[in-house]
Amino acid sequence: MDRFESFEDGLTALLPRLRRFAHTLSRNPADADDLTQATIERALRSQAQWEARTRLDSWLYRIMRNLWIDTVRSRGRREDLHSPVEEAERIGEDPRSAIEASIDLKKAMSAMQRLPEEQREVVALILIEGFGYRECSEILGLPIGTVSSRLVRGRTALLQMMGNPDGE
Amino acid sequence: MVNDETFFAWLDGELDAHEAASVEAEVAAAPRLSAMAAEHRAMQAKLKGAFDTVIESPVPQHLAASVTAQPQAQVIDFAKAKIRRQGAWPSAAQWSAMAATLAVGVLIGTLAPQARQVSPVEVQGGKIYAASALNEALSKQLASAPGGDVRIGLTFRDQSGAVCRSFADASSSGLACREGNGWRVRGLFAAPEGLGGNYRMAAGMDPNLAALVDSSMAGEPFDAAQEKAARDKGWR
Repeated sequence: MDRFESFEDGLTALLPRLRRFAHTLSRNPADADDLTQATIERALRSQAQWEARTRLDSWLYRIMRNLWIDTVRSRGRREDLHSPVEEAERIGEDPRSAIEASIDLKKAMSAMQRLPEEQREVVALILIEGFGYRECSEILGLPIGTVSSRLVRGRTALLQMMGNPDGE
Repeated sequence: MVNDETFFAWLDGELDAHEAASVEAEVAAAPRLSAMAAEHRAMQAKLKGAFDTVIESPVPQHLAASVTAQPQAQVIDFAKAKIRRQGAWPSAAQWSAMAATLAVGVLIGTLAPQARQVSPVEVQGGKIYAASALNEALSKQLASAPGGDVRIGLTFRDQSGAVCRSFADASSSGLACREGNGWRVRGLFAAPEGLGGNYRMAAGMDPNLAALVDSSMAGEPFDAAQEKAARDKGWR
């Protein structure tokens, strides 16, 4: 059962990074930890599908991203009341850890929420999670050219938001 | 003039040495590009720094604990089975027994001619496909049919557009997707201990199979009319 244990060890070791990725996608820290929890559960149920020679991190990021897309779609059907910006501005209401609700993280999450989903995930994987363009394209199942053009649009929009006090 | 995609690919270290040197020279000669590079580097550092506070904060206990939560049913791990291929395996067994003993992926290749029951799966080029009665049921049977030993559950398309169908017999359940003219088995799960002959998909799908279906499905499962139409078109 060595392989089974190393899968769990690998998952545990990757939890901090998975949480960070969840925060880049989500509207608030509570949603981010819910997404992380769902990712852990699906990874454990699906571990037979993971091929041991492939990167565990890419596989887990893909699971998280797909769960996130599912969440966004079902949320889109259920509630159209809150725009992403309104949601992002509610981050500060989260009563939990001071670090998670820190002003920089709040601003960064708010800025990320203003990006369209398709740009946000590319920005998150490349600029924050440190994946290369090719790894990113494999995780998202997109051509590299698409990744590259979404990244240009996303980071250009972010620069305007983060460099401009009115945009924060 | 370097285009945006190339400029940022250079900034992200994605260009080969030759291309990078060329962009580097262009940026060095153009104050506007140098300023743009500096602005974007600063923005990325600020953004990453903000999200890095998540990495620096402790992982909540409930998340760490959930990693060690055990799945409810035993998963048949084809990869593990493959590794053990050289080992000693029983020469023949019924499908149910195979599933229960995790030997599925291995037995197919080594089934002795005297096996009384024909194997429901076969290996072609390292992939596991449905055979005989399972293949027959997947190709012809509708979920509404009373059917024989094999019952069909959900039919749907996966993210690649292939038609997939979940199935079950008395002691195991699984998922197979159309590949070429066959059904490639994506997963096969033993029913939890003790449910044996009473196991019915309608009473609740195996949680591992449910997860596999969930992670494979694109859109909604077929309704009865869609299922029949898909069958009439040869599951394309």
